[in-house]
Amino acid sequence: MWRGDPSINRYVDEWVAPRVREQYGITLNTVPGEGAELVNDLVVQRDAGRARGTVDLIWINGEAFANLRREHLLYGPWASRLPAAALVDSASPIIARDFEQRPDGYESPWGTVEFALIYDSARTPSPPRSYAALADWIRAHPGRFTHDQGFTGLTFLKGLMYARAGGVARFAGGFDSTRYAVGRDSVLAWLARLTPSFWREGRTYPRDVAELERMFANGEVDFAMSNNENDVVTKVRQGILPATARALVLRDGSIANAHYLAIPYNAPNPAGAMVVADFLLSPAAQYEKQRPEVWADGTVLDRTRLPIEWQRRFAELARDPRAVPDDTLRRYAEPEVDPEYSVRLLDDWRTRVRAAPAPHTR
Amino acid sequence: MTRDARAGMVAATVIIVPVVVGLLYTASASVGLTGLDAHGLSTARLARVSADSQVWRAIAWTLSTATAGALLALTAAVTLASVVRGTSIGDRAARWLAIVPLPIPHVVAASLGLLVLGESGLLARWTAAAGWVSIARHLPAITLDPWGIGFTLTMAWKETPFLAIVAFAVLATRGAQLDEVARTLGAGRWATFRRVTLPVLVRALAPATIAATVFIAGSFEAPIILGPSDPLPLPVLIWERYGDLDLARRGDAYVLILIAFAIGIVGAAAVSWARRWDLDAETR
Repeated sequence: MWRGDPSINRYVDEWVAPRVREQYGITLNTVPGEGAELVNDLVVQRDAGRARGTVDLIWINGEAFANLRREHLLYGPWASRLPAAALVDSASPIIARDFEQRPDGYESPWGTVEFALIYDSARTPSPPRSYAALADWIRAHPGRFTHDQGFTGLTFLKGLMYARAGGVARFAGGFDSTRYAVGRDSVLAWLARLTPSFWREGRTYPRDVAELERMFANGEVDFAMSNNENDVVTKVRQGILPATARALVLRDGSIANAHYLAIPYNAPNPAGAMVVADFLLSPAAQYEKQRPEVWADGTVLDRTRLPIEWQRRFAELARDPRAVPDDTLRRYAEPEVDPEYSVRLLDDWRTRVRAAPAPHTR
Repeated sequence: MTRDARAGMVAATVIIVPVVVGLLYTASASVGLTGLDAHGLSTARLARVSADSQVWRAIAWTLSTATAGALLALTAAVTLASVVRGTSIGDRAARWLAIVPLPIPHVVAASLGLLVLGESGLLARWTAAAGWVSIARHLPAITLDPWGIGFTLTMAWKETPFLAIVAFAVLATRGAQLDEVARTLGAGRWATFRRVTLPVLVRALAPATIAATVFIAGSFEAPIILGPSDPLPLPVLIWERYGDLDLARRGDAYVLILIAFAIGIVGAAAVSWARRWDLDAETR
């Protein structure tokens, strides 16, 4: 799993691991590794003919799932046979489709998140609430906005593409190169106008979202962003972000997605992996994970299918005033589309924006 | 074969075999025979990489910052060795302090670099506090900068102790006698430094300086923390290609690794050439 967030590590190592050991006698041994790395490792293992791998359960979504399915590197189907799968909110388009792909039992949902901008209410009392207002704000405050080069920055750019095309619906239903070209050109035009007013005039970008968060906390820029709308809550509690930091979702729509657990084709202990995946779907594990002082990761369970006691506890989960209200999140949530849009947009951004001289020096 | 020669052969084999195996795998992956998304012999990856201007700019950035960093470290090491070469407590303490950064890992050095040289780093805060600039961010940006100034300075600081150790040893073994001869023949302090100490040091430090250049060029943690996004440092570009969202492009990383390996080989050849140059000069 990705080991980049101490609160997630703590949840898995200190809350989940002792419980699966006590209840099922399973030793949960976490190892670092994320999307692209996992795919590469499994391809190398397959080429080397290793029938018995080293990892039982992997944390993935989107492009990694697409690549692993295409290369036949996943074990399954298994996920829909888990007892706790009956509790999953299968009606939610965000959970039932992973970047428009049917999980088909090859991955089991674990959590949901929604993209949000992070700002400091002391520095920016009335922040922009749409991409158009953000553009005005950037022009009025040169050098105070940027995005990172990683997944979070890519989500920002995808959201921009949807907004300028008039909504995510334009891109739904598989990859279409014509629709993509129109969307991309519109993103490039927006960036060409605005990057001269970005941090460092858009000549360089922070490597990842952790670097962007550091710059935001140090006052080098006025916005950070996160693929998890509740990140601001946990980061303020950890003292990483100032107490006046707040999250907001842009009214054009905000990309929401789910993340999943899958079992590699050569997992040494797939049965153990399924037991752990089932445990992670239990109301207790999902509730603990969603607590703001733990991870603040959204549940994939349908609350109405839970015992009354758990319905009450989920409803009582203290909403932090820094977080975006639930109904706002639901109203503006938009699903992910075919992963090919992400692949192409990132590549075009890298070659046509990042590696190109800033427009005003051309 | 003598016992020593046999031991040497075994040691060399142990070191070289994994390198050769890795190189063969990388080379066959570069032409599409193995590795990610391999579809049989093809020059597509080689063609794509060599046609990509990002690649050539990455190589140029990495080689120029590495050379500049190593040369700065060489200057610092020569200066240190010449200035604090005595046996007084102060000189000995200074020599000890100079090599303290030696065991610091690159990733820590790079984080320190960001902490000191960054846009909201200590340097910016101190100059702002001293009233030299109105707000900290009016200082010229030297981290994540296209010229790699912050990266070069940090790497120079990181490599200086390595070169300083060599310089201290050289002056302790060869320097004293040569200096004495020069002084006896009537050379002044400056002439002794310029005509004797400096040439001895530079020749003796040449192999280590080339090695430092290759170390800097090959480091990954420092350029990913301090380097710009355009041009991308070569090690960062390799990492990015290996994790590309497009599985078909990940294979390009193998070609880039071959390029980085070639740079290493040229560096190793240069080190052994420089060592012969130093030995020749010493025995003359």
